[in-house]
Amino acid sequence: MKIPHTALTELRSLLGKGNVLTDEASLLLHAYDCSLSRTRPDLLLNIRREEDVAPAVKILSAYKIPFVPRAAATNHAGSCAALNGGAILNLAGLNRILQINTQEQFAVVQPGVITADLQNALNKLGFFYAPDPASERVCTLGGNLAQNASGARCMKYGGTPDHVLEADAVLPTGQTVHFSRDGGGPDFIGLLAGSEGTLGVITRLKVQILPLVKHVKTFLVTFPSLEDSVQTVTDLTARGIIPRCVEAMDQTTLQTVEDFSHAGYPIDAQALLILELDGTPAQIEREEKELAEICRKNRAQQFLPAKTEAERNKLWLGRRAAYAAIARLAPNVMVGDGTVPRSELPRALKKVRQILQERNIRASLLFHAGDGNFHPHFIFDERNPADALRVKRALNEVLKACVDCGGTISGEHGVGVEKRADMAYQYDKPTLDLFARMKRAADPLNLANPLKIIPVNYAEKARPQAPADEAVQTLAQRIRLRREAGVPGAVTGANTRLKTAAKETFSTRALTKIADIDLTNYTATVQTGITLDDLQHALSARGVYCALPGGKGTLGGAFSSGAYPHFYAHTLGLEALLPDGSLVRYGGKFMKNSAGYHLTRLFAGARGTLGIVTQLTFKIFATPVTVPAAENAPAKPNALWHALKHELDPNGLFPILPEDNHV
Amino acid sequence: MFSFSASRLRRQLRALFTPFGERSVYDSAAHCTRCGSCQQSCPSYALNKQETFSPRGRNQALRLIMERKLDPRTHKQLLEEIVNSCTLCGRCTQTCAGKIPTAEHMLELRRALNLRALPDSLYTLLSLRGTRPALFDRLVRTGLFLRRLGLVALLRKTGLTRLFGLEWINRADDLLPRRIPSLQKYLAAKNIQSRPENPDLIYLPSLEAQYFLPELAASILKSSAEKHRPVLWPNVSSGLFEYVYGDLRRSRRAVRRLIRRAEQANLPILTDSVDVFTFLHRAPQLFSGNKRWEHKARKLAENMRFVTDFLPKKPLAFPDVKTPVRLDYSALFCREGEPLDSVQKILKTLFKKNFVECLYTDADTPAFGYGFVRNSWAKPMALNAVRTIAQTQTATVFTLSGLSALELNYSLKRLYPNARAEHVARLNG
Repeated sequence: MKIPHTALTELRSLLGKGNVLTDEASLLLHAYDCSLSRTRPDLLLNIRREEDVAPAVKILSAYKIPFVPRAAATNHAGSCAALNGGAILNLAGLNRILQINTQEQFAVVQPGVITADLQNALNKLGFFYAPDPASERVCTLGGNLAQNASGARCMKYGGTPDHVLEADAVLPTGQTVHFSRDGGGPDFIGLLAGSEGTLGVITRLKVQILPLVKHVKTFLVTFPSLEDSVQTVTDLTARGIIPRCVEAMDQTTLQTVEDFSHAGYPIDAQALLILELDGTPAQIEREEKELAEICRKNRAQQFLPAKTEAERNKLWLGRRAAYAAIARLAPNVMVGDGTVPRSELPRALKKVRQILQERNIRASLLFHAGDGNFHPHFIFDERNPADALRVKRALNEVLKACVDCGGTISGEHGVGVEKRADMAYQYDKPTLDLFARMKRAADPLNLANPLKIIPVNYAEKARPQAPADEAVQTLAQRIRLRREAGVPGAVTGANTRLKTAAKETFSTRALTKIADIDLTNYTATVQTGITLDDLQHALSARGVYCALPGGKGTLGGAFSSGAYPHFYAHTLGLEALLPDGSLVRYGGKFMKNSAGYHLTRLFAGARGTLGIVTQLTFKIFATPVTVPAAENAPAKPNALWHALKHELDPNGLFPILPEDNHV
Repeated sequence: MFSFSASRLRRQLRALFTPFGERSVYDSAAHCTRCGSCQQSCPSYALNKQETFSPRGRNQALRLIMERKLDPRTHKQLLEEIVNSCTLCGRCTQTCAGKIPTAEHMLELRRALNLRALPDSLYTLLSLRGTRPALFDRLVRTGLFLRRLGLVALLRKTGLTRLFGLEWINRADDLLPRRIPSLQKYLAAKNIQSRPENPDLIYLPSLEAQYFLPELAASILKSSAEKHRPVLWPNVSSGLFEYVYGDLRRSRRAVRRLIRRAEQANLPILTDSVDVFTFLHRAPQLFSGNKRWEHKARKLAENMRFVTDFLPKKPLAFPDVKTPVRLDYSALFCREGEPLDSVQKILKTLFKKNFVECLYTDADTPAFGYGFVRNSWAKPMALNAVRTIAQTQTATVFTLSGLSALELNYSLKRLYPNARAEHVARLNG
């Protein structure tokens, strides 16, 4: 597209002449990221000051120029390609750590701060930032949130959104919004995670920091089969032992890595686990005994604990060199990213190996066994179009295999443009419609990183919708009738938290089914009308616990009222009815999901203003865990909540936003 | 001016010798998976946070040109900046999983685009060292004599150096010590022999060791004389200067000349510059396709020695160092492997806890006269290096070449006088 001269003049007066570039060479050098996507933008804006983002976006919005936020551009999904042309906002210059507060355990950073730079600064003070993406030496914190990145430590500590306390963002309209976990309402920080710049530009983050763990012990364990290694992780979870990380390799990868790194890995093993325990010395000792016992039970061939720091480094040597071992083999490496329920890992990996064999593709498989996330590294030459196409197709098949195994097409890399088409394989039409409407609400002109995440013309390709539960169908029918009659109503559960005197209500009390308690993956899928007491009772009968306390209120109430914001990180999937009566489904029994907008975070704390959550899938534990309750502060709607409400419920069928209520 | 074409670029270096085998320049650039691991290690990216001036951007630019997607004639100025902003330090190669030699790529691009990195007058002067050593010797001596008389100071004061485009004289004047004795006189005063009978080692002094740091050359001759009979070969070009700043033909010619002389002498060659050592180790790639000369260059590489071979078990010159000591990794092409690993190991053994380990993000002084290429880039890079030194309160910084010591000392004197830089060979006293 042609950038109007007046727009350039305005941008130059705002950012300085040298920071507004339109020459061909500069544009071509901002046309790519770590994926195969390559699209030339029309304008490059180097942002040097945080306060310039909002006015720059306002100017771009006024001239209807699309824009793509970009910092280190290390993503594997093509999220930084300017598909509609327009401007690249280079945020790499916003790289200052603004504050580190060890007393209250937080750090305030700009989005271009390199993750490892923050780690290094914190380590000196005896603290650390928990998310550790493999590319932490180069990726930025803003990018981590935008791509919903996580790392090896994710199993114990959670991913990026779980460690961001506050965020400032500029919406595509140019409006600056402050999101906070304490502010009540939907978890907008969680919603920004994985939004890939399609909902706005992140300009500042306040992240949680933790005291450095002084005692860490690493173990290398080999198994005669993948199933045995996965069963080991399941048994660990069943005993309430959550390792700091569980990294795994299959036999083929092991061979490649050992050939390169000479780390001393036994190449005859069918599977290898690198486990790490942290905590107090007594706790580690106790857990080590249990770990050894579990490994023995699962036919472990070798159990090698690292006794010294040097030994620990040696155990990690091969795993760390894995990418290099693969990168040397061919010009290009495409890193895939699929996640399945942990119990499905052996089946998924078998399918992947079959796909690779059929297509005659060389690839290595590395995986985070703790959360069922695996990364096939495909080796190919992108200069050979046939080779590139073959690999692309293989990747699509692998992702479809993940979905077939009850998983997702992305655990931590995002969707971007590379996996956009596969979204239709994972989600049904109403859910994709909801993604599209969310995007439209936040970005009516479709300027912020357009054409990402949501597949094009998905209506016919979308996954057929599975039939809904009878009680849910009845509720959906009531919603549709009320909508046609134009009679609004309050959403109620047990009427214990958000009490209402309204006569017209949408009650969830009929939704009391416990669909599944899975003791392999440690997840429960439960309808939201069940009371917390009943839920606790049902879970304890199976010897497991969820993070919510008991009570007379419903599960849906606890989730939607915002009473337990720390529980949001435990929710893995949901079903919800929208104001138009359509049923959307998101997530499942897998631990990570970066495919699409985080619907669990959208409906969490939304107080029924955007939809009725009918079913939740969440983590359960072998030992009691309780999340703290939030102070009962009234939620203050922000511009994004308003926009979403207006888009999803224009006639106000469901409760109006708290502020409007007050008025 | 830009008679550049993909075929011409291919004609330049037939193949690059990488750890994973021989690769054409295009193949080598195409091995970049754009993962971005190199970005944070690059000193020029650290300065301006722009993809354009990053290793990944440079490799993509090269590829775009070779695939004829970017016309170099229409982007002359930016391409010159992209190429010349690269300090050739090889830190990107160190962090790259595929060990992509971006510095070599940039040199190829520089040659293909006929880009001159050094000011013309400085280039002409320095290239005389290889072609007309006697004239070069006379010119340098005259220059130093005039400097002693105060003529350089006068030229600077009157602004004439700037007027005639000779700013490099200002920089050289800043870097060089005030009083510089001639090497021959210095050796004679210290009673160090430079032309023994039946020598068994050739000492190839760098330009700075020969003319500006005679004490460094003397120290090396003296320490190597404990086990050997070293002979000084002054003003013998290694071909590195031509390789980096000139053209490949001249560089090959210089290396051939050196090979012939070394074959005649049939002795190992000692150098005080890590850059020369690395370059001659990679010299076989200059003759890729020419088996005879490739073999000879390989033999020369095997015969190369660095000053690490003569470092003491105890630091003679720094017996009571209680303050932090570190290594400045300022070098061309590579920041790992030999001899850097050996030096690091030696320093660690010698200074134990006082040796400060470097982080991958720590800055180094730009190497091999980069300050004369782009002082506007080199200055903030040197500042970053000083900042790193000051942050760890390092008192002594060891360098791997005399020029880096000169450059670093200049910055330290102005910005952090608590520290000083020394060539690692000065451990011998």
